[in-house]
Amino acid sequence: MRARVIAVALAPLVACNEPDRQVSQPPSKLPSVRVVDLIPASLSGETWQDAEPFLALYDSNPKLMAASAFTPNPGGSTSATAPIFVTNDGGDSWTLRNTLPSEGLTADITHAVGGNPPVLYAGILKVPGVPLNELKTNDFLSPATMTLQASRADIDQPFVRTAQVASADHVYVGLNDFDAPDGRTATVDVSLDGGATYTSRRIETRGTAGQNGPSIRPALAQDRTVYVAYFGWRSNAGSDVASDVVVVRDDHGATGATSFKDLVDPSDHLPGRLVATHVTIPWSNAPTLGQERIGSTLSLAVNPRHSDTVYLAWADRVGNGDIYTVHVRRSGDRGATWTGDLRTVTNATDASLAVAANGTVGLLYQQLTGAADASRWVTQLEQSRDGFATHQDVVLATVPATTPAFQFLPYLGDYNGLLSRGPVFLGIFSANNTPDSTNFPQGVVYQRRVEFATHRLLDGSGAGGGAAVAVSIDPFFFSVPVLP
Amino acid sequence: MHTRSAMLLAVALALPGAGAVAQMSRATLGTVTQVGAVAAPEVPASPRTVVVRIDNVLEKPAAVALAPGDSVTVETVQPGSLKPGIQATFYTTGWIFGRGVAVREVGHEPGRSPVVVTDQQAAVARARLDVNDADLKAHIQRAAMVVAGRVEQVRPAELTAAPTRPKRITEHDPQWQEAIIQVQDGIKGAHAGEQVVVRFPGSRDVAWVGAPRFSAGQEGTFLLHKDSTTGSPNAKIAGREVPAYTALHKVDVLSKQDAMRVRTLIKKP
Repeated sequence: MRARVIAVALAPLVACNEPDRQVSQPPSKLPSVRVVDLIPASLSGETWQDAEPFLALYDSNPKLMAASAFTPNPGGSTSATAPIFVTNDGGDSWTLRNTLPSEGLTADITHAVGGNPPVLYAGILKVPGVPLNELKTNDFLSPATMTLQASRADIDQPFVRTAQVASADHVYVGLNDFDAPDGRTATVDVSLDGGATYTSRRIETRGTAGQNGPSIRPALAQDRTVYVAYFGWRSNAGSDVASDVVVVRDDHGATGATSFKDLVDPSDHLPGRLVATHVTIPWSNAPTLGQERIGSTLSLAVNPRHSDTVYLAWADRVGNGDIYTVHVRRSGDRGATWTGDLRTVTNATDASLAVAANGTVGLLYQQLTGAADASRWVTQLEQSRDGFATHQDVVLATVPATTPAFQFLPYLGDYNGLLSRGPVFLGIFSANNTPDSTNFPQGVVYQRRVEFATHRLLDGSGAGGGAAVAVSIDPFFFSVPVLP
Repeated sequence: MHTRSAMLLAVALALPGAGAVAQMSRATLGTVTQVGAVAAPEVPASPRTVVVRIDNVLEKPAAVALAPGDSVTVETVQPGSLKPGIQATFYTTGWIFGRGVAVREVGHEPGRSPVVVTDQQAAVARARLDVNDADLKAHIQRAAMVVAGRVEQVRPAELTAAPTRPKRITEHDPQWQEAIIQVQDGIKGAHAGEQVVVRFPGSRDVAWVGAPRFSAGQEGTFLLHKDSTTGSPNAKIAGREVPAYTALHKVDVLSKQDAMRVRTLIKKP
């Protein structure tokens, strides 16, 4: 399919498949887009690599949001807690509160809100030892440490989604459970009582190469349909994994004795629709895509009001010279059949999908463009109402990819966050924080002290803003109006 | 003197003394003297919160923006323990970071007027040294072995996987490495001339970002702990099975010159 782009913004020299996207144009500005650096003024001296951001928000209170990244407790690595960011003014300003029971920072974190503000659930890998901690607070604005509800070892990438059913919060934590039997490690921890108790639901029904991939992604619709996407790792040769991309479904919120069995594949009649088979996942825990590692990009989003429609994005190596390619597909019949690729983006990662209430799908990704010292990370949100036949593109950031040098991996994140609420997409990404307006075509608001004229970050230590601070990776919140 | 490890922000807070009340009240009216108030709107006010103006920053994390003249919110240990006009050195931990800084009091010492900054800085520096020494001594006591030596070789660890725990592929894989250290000075539990095997993560994953790394030729003083992390407690040197050690805390790897300090701390009651 040849995409007709109704772009309001094009990334410069983006390396996408569609020929008509090979145009070099400066990104332009879309009205009503907000981009906000989350680092507060009082942490203006911060130089950490605040990677892998995530966002949680309430439908019922647009003022309240929680966000996270691999941001450390400013008190240092000996601190008993790690921070989250909170806002109570709709994202215009953010504060940092040390409420996570993890020494200094977490090794993974996602979170989602409860039905009643300001309840928040989080799944973290705690430092040290990286056990899973499933956490809850009745007030995420409180400085009190979040309450531990469940914990166990040998878990990877907890990914939290929630729904309110009657008066109870249902919590779904997709995770890779290395203690699952027979190497079928794709698991969803399900709680139907606000996190008081969890039941681990195994969702892989086929043989694996000893385990599944780390990303297990639930997506919830308002009618209690729960979809989950995962990588069915089938074999590996060196660092390449041959994987199926699988989607399971439960039509009743995973409340039954058996769950996630409602979608079977016609090829073997087993639960779990094989959307793509034997794709090549380049598993690399070293800088591979620029300074970023790759191997677990996966996202799933369902139309919240019409659960028949579900979108899936993943990244693999196509083999045509690409390093890592994002694919987007759609099902309009509850996952029974899927389109081919609606959209492919070469050398991109951190794909996140969301579907707005009016059916518009949003695709957030970060693409490496250019080469060597000229390479850039371009963070882009695409929206489409016609399966990406046409799409509106908004460049949120285009920043140097070679600076700063990575402190650890992931450089930007194994995932980022995109959600929708009413007429806006809300999301979060991490990027080089140089205060240069050309890096943020939609504009940007810093809370920390900066000097745009000289492109300098300042530590806020005195008159004139203080001393210069080294460039680092910061988390950026954004909101973009949904295509009507 | 408070010497707890929680002393992360030590700031000398000069609430105006009698001679300076009028002037300071004018300059910072409503903030300097407030009790049960906050310096930034994102901080919840309570009977325990007070607003103080910073006279001098004695110690703080590099990321935190604090300068003399700034006002901060302090959540006190005890409501009513501080009155407007009190001058004190506060020992605090971070609490809320937004437009302003809010900290939690660990303890405070009444100050003098005029503030003698150099005295306070010296006092905090002494306190910090005491804290560091106490912390280091505790680490030494927990260590199975303390040696000064040189890293002769670094190699991938050969771990004997437990049959019930197949190797997993995860981005948090520590990618264990082994450093073979030639002991030059056996300070605790070792003798000069020995070789010991120390395991450390080679991974650059965020889960291991604070763990010390070793490289061939590196010299230092090493606090070593029996390996209870990898699931494989023994290693091999020249075909000989020996206990494996880890050094995963940043305090576990010190400079070679620190050997003397370590010996002194061991002897210190």
